Amino acid sequence: MPMTRLPETQRRAIVRMAAILAAIALALFVYTIWRGVK
Amino acid sequence: MATAHHDEHPAGLMRWLTSTNHKDIGTLYLVFALIMFFIGGAMALVIRAELFQPGLQIVNPQFFNSMTTMHALVMIFGGVMPAFTGFANWQIPLMIGAPDMALPRLNNWSFWLLPFAFTLLLATLLIPGGGPSGGWTLYPPLSVQGSMGTDMTILAIHMMGISSVLGAINVIATILNMRAPGMTLLKMPLFVWTWLITAFLLLAAMPVLAGAVTMLLTDRHFGTHFFDAAGGGDPVMFQHIFWFFGHPEVYILILPAFGITSQIIPTFARKPLFGYESMVYATASIAFLSFIVWAHHMFTVGMPLAGELFFMYATMMIAVPTGVKVFNWAATMWKGSMTFETPMLFSIAFVMLFTIGGFSGLMLAIAPADFQYQDTYFVVAHFHYVLVSGAVFSIIAGVYYWLPKWTGHMYNETLGKWHFWLSVIGFNLTFFPQHFLGLAGMPRRIPDYALQFTEFNQWSSIGAFLFGFSQLLFVAAVVQTVRGGKKAEAKAWEGAEGLEWTVPSPAPYHTFATPPRIK
Repeated sequence: MPMTRLPETQRRAIVRMAAILAAIALALFVYTIWRGVK
Repeated sequence: MATAHHDEHPAGLMRWLTSTNHKDIGTLYLVFALIMFFIGGAMALVIRAELFQPGLQIVNPQFFNSMTTMHALVMIFGGVMPAFTGFANWQIPLMIGAPDMALPRLNNWSFWLLPFAFTLLLATLLIPGGGPSGGWTLYPPLSVQGSMGTDMTILAIHMMGISSVLGAINVIATILNMRAPGMTLLKMPLFVWTWLITAFLLLAAMPVLAGAVTMLLTDRHFGTHFFDAAGGGDPVMFQHIFWFFGHPEVYILILPAFGITSQIIPTFARKPLFGYESMVYATASIAFLSFIVWAHHMFTVGMPLAGELFFMYATMMIAVPTGVKVFNWAATMWKGSMTFETPMLFSIAFVMLFTIGGFSGLMLAIAPADFQYQDTYFVVAHFHYVLVSGAVFSIIAGVYYWLPKWTGHMYNETLGKWHFWLSVIGFNLTFFPQHFLGLAGMPRRIPDYALQFTEFNQWSSIGAFLFGFSQLLFVAAVVQTVRGGKKAEAKAWEGAEGLEWTVPSPAPYHTFATPPRIK
């Protein structure tokens, strides 16, 4: 059975969501160290 | 809509190294977790062998301390978390009618970080100075003074953290973007719900751990004094930061277990899950509360009374949504047409024994009483009731439950029942006496103890070896099922509901290329 390629809009939504979540994770990491410095 | 032909996959090692298929990656996670369970289990048996008698018999104290530290790190980050991620990979796309995870290449990377991380962690045992030995919590000042093994452990934790965060991003993106048409959020199976909430916990908690261990690393090598009182820092700050990660971590280890149990009990009670929506809200409430209770792990550091009261009452509040869950599982079984196949036996044991762990948790939450219990074997008994008869029993239950879907064969029920009864007896023999040891004052993380603790320790060690070796029956049952056995139908269990049971057993390499429609 061939795999279906996801529609472009769905692909974009996934990548956008992943980028936002990764940015949140990175921000929390930086914030933790920043609080340590304070 | 463009299509690509991915049915042909590389054979042999390249299939597993390069796979982006959720079922392959799920299998990799589960096999990895099983190996780690045995490595971590061997470490537990070293601990229990040493504690069979008072005095020093088998290992030196430094190595003993490495064993307690590494046992925890291996079991938490190498055993339980990858096992649940394995379930997530296999089951979430099948349960929401998606063709795969949303980010398949990222999925491959998430997994393959782990073998490197654990090779690094386990290699610490071979270097001069040995493995990390200050406890899995890595409290300074010990962790600042430790050998190079601590640096390797910090790097390994960073790799595990990246793997977990990437896995969490993938789970969230999959669930929120890939559900079949008609599958609204409140139609999702509870396992999917618990994993969605767990993924948010991972995303919020793991970067905090990464920050904490980064500060440890800079304290060790780059002249900072984050946790060094002599340089204006504060070792207690590490404890606050660590437990801000550590308590949500506890729920990362247990929420998917709630999800698996919530799939299994309705199947074998032949009734829909009682109070589905309340289960969802209870899971979300537990997740929220998990971020405001961290200091109950450190009542004895000397915090203000108002702080102790806040963290005590907030912790006790977790009993409310957890109670909702336990009562809902009991109500699901109430007047059901119950049968007691191995997954159901492990799930019932989960409900009963996890509740014991919950009650001892309530005892520990009482701040004045905790001054007595802190750092005793009572704590060890408590968290093993939560994590072994909780998380691990649910993992075992889940494997027996979905193994027919994964392999296309039914497992050997007699072997499964032997495995269950030996596990449940061995487990209780190991950990129940530890409550008494703790209440009598035996401290945790020591290789030697006073004579009056001998008898309960001997029971505990005998139980540990029984529990440990009975897991070989699990391996035998799984290997036997993978190799052959009675053919499993698409719907392997009479009472099972859900999309995963609509595809053939074993599940084909690609499923739901065309999304199903949910009524």
